[in-house]
Amino acid sequence: MAPHLQTDEFFSSLTDLLAKTTQKSRGSVTLSQKPLIDNITTTQPSILIRATDGNTSAPRTMKDGKVVKAKASKATRVKFSTVVPADQLEAFYTRYAEICKTGMTGLKKRDRKRKAKGKGGAKAAKA
Amino acid sequence: MTYLETSQAYLEQSAQLLEAYPETTRITTKYNFPTERPAQVLKRTKSQAKSNKPASTSTEPPTAPIASLTLRTYNPESGITIQYRTNKLQEVGRLMTGLGKLAAGADVASLGLSAPAGADIEMTDAPEEAAGSAPAPVPAAAKGQAQGGKGKKKKGGKK
Repeated sequence: MAPHLQTDEFFSSLTDLLAKTTQKSRGSVTLSQKPLIDNITTTQPSILIRATDGNTSAPRTMKDGKVVKAKASKATRVKFSTVVPADQLEAFYTRYAEICKTGMTGLKKRDRKRKAKGKGGAKAAKA
Repeated sequence: MTYLETSQAYLEQSAQLLEAYPETTRITTKYNFPTERPAQVLKRTKSQAKSNKPASTSTEPPTAPIASLTLRTYNPESGITIQYRTNKLQEVGRLMTGLGKLAAGADVASLGLSAPAGADIEMTDAPEEAAGSAPAPVPAAAKGQAQGGKGKKKKGGKK
């Protein structure tokens, strides 16, 4: 398991991953968040954030140690994570939300709809 | 495996689940493009090309399918899964900030208070749910969520 990234590295990797996926219009990006429970109990646990492209055709090691071979040799699995201390959560999520907003452009946009309606309206008026 | 209708309901129920099992509950967010068979791609591009020729008012980009965003709150101990799916870009910011609040351990009340005006419809439901689950012991509250139908039936019976 690769070591956890620093917040900045995590965000730049995430931006890349989202951009790549959107450009390809294929595949998916999975983000997960869960409390990181260590035995030293603190008042509020840190949050572990993981991101992956879930590329199962890339070579990977299963839990029992077996290595699953790649179907396509070029494919690689993108996988990275970071740990956010409880006191930095708010700042982290502000940036996190911003990056998701700008990166997930494959979703339906509100603006485009309005423009389309506007065009349609104009044409209808001309006709 | 319930898909909830509104993001507000999703965030509220997730907050309840996190409250019941704060250590083991995890939230995953999936930004996904649908997989299409080659024939489906051909069909879609053809139909888009058709609609593009007479008027370029197509709401979709010429080749890309529309992605979707699925949020899933899962607790392995109880097997409870809460899901919400959207394909609207404008919801992303609000959802992610919501997840941030959940990660920081926000409860239902604080989510309700900070909700934007768009969530007015859910606000009528929210106090009821909160009132119903608050006096009950925590695991019971979580069970009520898992089988939402049952919880509602119970409430009906009391009336």
